[in-house]
Amino acid sequence: MTRRTLLRMGPAAAAAVAVRCSSPPPSSPLDPGRAGITGAIVGASHATGHRLREGGFPEPRETRDVSVIIVGGGMAGLSAAWKLSKSGFDDYALLELESEAGGNSRSGRNDVSAYPWGAHYLPVPPPEAPAVRELLEEMGMVPSYGADGEPIYDPRHLCHAPQERVFVDGAWRDGLSAQDLLDPEGTGTVAVLTEFEAQVRAYRNYRDASGRRAFAIPVAASTTDAEIVALDDISMRDYFDRAGWSSEPLRWYVDYCCRDDYGCTLETTSAWAGWHYFCSRPAEGQYLTWPEGNGRIVQHLLDRVADHVRTGMLVYRVGTGGGPGSPTGATEVDAVDTVRGTAVRYRARRAIYALPRFTAGHVIDGYAPPGAPDAFTYCPWMVANLTVSRLPVDAAWDNVLYDSPSLGYVVATHQNLRIAPGPSVLTYYRPLSVPNPAVARTWMLEQRWDDWVSLVLADLSQAHPEIESLVRHIDVMLWGHAMIRPVPGFVWGASRRRAEEPHGAIRFAHSDMSGISIFEEAQYHGVRAAEAVMRDLGHAHTSSV
Amino acid sequence: MPGTMSPELMDPTNPPSTEHAGLKTRALLVSVFTIATCGLIYELLAGTIASYLLGDSVTQFSTIIGVYLFAMGVGSYLSRYFDRDLIARFIVIEILVGVVGGISSPVLFFSFGQIQSFRVVLYGWVTMTGILVGLEIPFLIRILEDQFPLRDLVSKVLSLDYLGALAASLLFPLWLVPQVGLMRSSFVFGVLNLLVAVWTCHLFRREHGRPWLTAQAYAALVLLLLGAVYSDDLTERSERLLYEDPVIFSRASPYQRVVLTQRDGEVRLFLNGDLQFSSLDEYRYHEALVHPGLAAVAEPRQALVLGGGDGMAVREILKDDRVEHVTLVDLDPVMTDIFVDHDGFAALNDYALRSPRVELVNADAFVWLDADAGRYDFIVVDFPDPSNFSLGKLYTTTFYRRLAAHLNPGGVMAIQSTSPLVSRQAFWCIVDTVRASGLQATPYHASVPTFGEWGYVVASREPFRVPERFPAGLRFLTPAVTRALFEFPADMAPVPVEVNHLNNQILVQYHADGWDQYSRTPPPVSE
Repeated sequence: MTRRTLLRMGPAAAAAVAVRCSSPPPSSPLDPGRAGITGAIVGASHATGHRLREGGFPEPRETRDVSVIIVGGGMAGLSAAWKLSKSGFDDYALLELESEAGGNSRSGRNDVSAYPWGAHYLPVPPPEAPAVRELLEEMGMVPSYGADGEPIYDPRHLCHAPQERVFVDGAWRDGLSAQDLLDPEGTGTVAVLTEFEAQVRAYRNYRDASGRRAFAIPVAASTTDAEIVALDDISMRDYFDRAGWSSEPLRWYVDYCCRDDYGCTLETTSAWAGWHYFCSRPAEGQYLTWPEGNGRIVQHLLDRVADHVRTGMLVYRVGTGGGPGSPTGATEVDAVDTVRGTAVRYRARRAIYALPRFTAGHVIDGYAPPGAPDAFTYCPWMVANLTVSRLPVDAAWDNVLYDSPSLGYVVATHQNLRIAPGPSVLTYYRPLSVPNPAVARTWMLEQRWDDWVSLVLADLSQAHPEIESLVRHIDVMLWGHAMIRPVPGFVWGASRRRAEEPHGAIRFAHSDMSGISIFEEAQYHGVRAAEAVMRDLGHAHTSSV
Repeated sequence: MPGTMSPELMDPTNPPSTEHAGLKTRALLVSVFTIATCGLIYELLAGTIASYLLGDSVTQFSTIIGVYLFAMGVGSYLSRYFDRDLIARFIVIEILVGVVGGISSPVLFFSFGQIQSFRVVLYGWVTMTGILVGLEIPFLIRILEDQFPLRDLVSKVLSLDYLGALAASLLFPLWLVPQVGLMRSSFVFGVLNLLVAVWTCHLFRREHGRPWLTAQAYAALVLLLLGAVYSDDLTERSERLLYEDPVIFSRASPYQRVVLTQRDGEVRLFLNGDLQFSSLDEYRYHEALVHPGLAAVAEPRQALVLGGGDGMAVREILKDDRVEHVTLVDLDPVMTDIFVDHDGFAALNDYALRSPRVELVNADAFVWLDADAGRYDFIVVDFPDPSNFSLGKLYTTTFYRRLAAHLNPGGVMAIQSTSPLVSRQAFWCIVDTVRASGLQATPYHASVPTFGEWGYVVASREPFRVPERFPAGLRFLTPAVTRALFEFPADMAPVPVEVNHLNNQILVQYHADGWDQYSRTPPPVSE
């Protein structure tokens, strides 16, 4: 078995092979040619997180009272905090496990550039997403408005040309759309493309009796008409098979899109989620992007709420009742300070639980998930940031490799307005899109830094034989539970539909409650939860959603 | 078949059939035609390459033809010193002619960029080819002398020789130069010479009796065939090395290769091989770039030049005494250093960059502009053409808006805007992009012989009025000439185009479309 087929089969297969051969996975020291490359596996506290399962935490010695406690400082938790602060509600605290808030939108910075560790762009929001628009206006992304009152986004932050390219058959092609792949000349004669695009248009234009779209952002605004909801029962691959769409490039493209947005393949993505990707946004959508990706949004939110944020706090218990003698406490949250090793108890009238839902059973007293117990599953991801001495020739913003298990790389310095060539940072994305994410997760955590370096360089060298000579530094981040997986039956199954139901004084907020891991969903749930607790506590506010 | 076989054509042990002998004779006569064609082609190639590289085609062709014919005479003379093994010697000569003639184009192109005394190589090569070609016909006549009476022989050989010359002289301009190219033509005709060598080897294998000669002929044939196949590659390489004139300065900066050439007092600047200016006519380009805009400003105290590290635009600005201070921002310190420190080159900009009124900044324009707090009355934007996405950013609405924020009330910007004739869409795209940035855009153009028809845009907040008064000392602009620059003939008239934004960079496409139609690469103007 060659290295390449091993890579293409994915980590589970690779792990299986390693087991069958009963020899350890290749962990040789760095190739001599690679001696100059530095780096490490950074970030995500897997070990700390895993302590949740083991228990054995110290008893809290200290108790703090707040009106609202937010558990989790990803986009949902930060958005909840943002909404509270904006509404003049300041008696709250946010607890975050990692040393920095931001979740999937965290970013890094070195002497070359800032760079994303996860989410790296935000589509320009439609009018139906008022909270996103409100945030972007606050961030100064809307310097002016058109005659129709519609915002005109700052062109410095709209993704510059050239935006996308794909490496096919040994050459780079401009653009990355079904048409670019199937009919680059635009002859209009490729039947399967015509059918696919007609279906996209039809779903995009669909409105039910109450005017709801087939696939909306937020997902909660989508139609519940049976015809559309039934798409969730089958996989995107089933849909393609039934439609008779056998075109290899089209299947690859849609599979790529599913992996890009969900970490799932054509086989493991529900047809509802698959079509949501193509039909929930306008046709000629534009992207806002920054060198640090959505880290820019994190920073903006932190600028407003940082005083309330406590990092390095591992929340190990959320109780549903205040203890005796606690006048305001309707919930208590026990957290251990991972730096000092001491535990703190927060007593609060309301809690917003903004962690991924799979943790709830371990953390919340007496929590039983509605529906199936393990319905929430997550795709693991590996993200690598490569510092390069110069950019590959003609690099676009998003550079995709056809037939690679990776999603290619994004150029952190793309929005740079300099003309002088110089070093850059490439952010390389690799979802571990196998049917059983637990297997992939185990395999992922066994790999050493130099294994990842070999994997990344082997993949990129298909398109850039010189890549190894350009790379100076590679940092790797492993995301065990990066994205909720919208497998068939999840989005419209009971577990997700009932995920919003509060548990005592606890409200929930996370993008996994939409089944789709995007900023807009996280923000929607965060803002909704904040508004709900303010309503509960009688705090006047205007709604952002 | 009249006459008897010459000793060379006869196999003493196995008398040839007359049919075979006839074949050999005919083959040799065909060879006369072929080598005559090849011979003249080499001469024409040398003449063309010499005029291409050295200019003055009358002189080049005259001297090349003279030297070539003289060398042929030398060859003919020398033929008397060969009296044995004529067939084998003829084959050797064919191999040599094929190789020497076949590689003449690459040799001449490459030696021009590499070797100081190019003329020695040129005339040496022409002489060598001429001598070898001069040997061919006497050899053939002597080989065939026993086949025909002298009267017939001379008539046949010379008529075929001149017929070959006619073929060459028609093929060369009508097909070879336009379709095949100089590089490949030389290989193709070298191959023909070698085919003559190869078939002569085979037909006369008993006579010459030297297998290694056949092997040599084949080896040379393969070599030239490879050359013919890869000649496009060679052309590209040679043009990279190629500058028309002697290189007097060459340095690689982190951003580009800066080369200056000089011939008869004319200095040319090349960046990455693209002509930036010729000292013969750059005053047209720079006067047109600066003065229509500058003279229209009521009180031009502060000026800014972006790009233009050669200092020529600054020189023009300093002619206006009202200007108190000029800030020049150019990316490349190698460029600005040349035009500050080097007396010979600084003389070209009248030592403008040494003026106390001038401040020099080496920085990336967009980044610098974002950080700069200055306000200017007159801004010159003199970037290279938008031939890639990096440069294209400097022609967007975002850039022009940023620039407009640095413009004082009543101020004017002048923007070099590529050729409205070559790339009409690109030119009008720049005009429309300036307009979409909230400025008035007034387009104009000027003729600069080394560039062709060149385009500019003045951008201002207030309506622009073409000025009537200019500083003293201009060689190109007068009030009447300037008025005419703002008139556009039909072939450069506006076309509908899209506006260039950072997120579409449509201008790069327009620019490429326009210049692709021209066989040469775009000569971007000075940075």
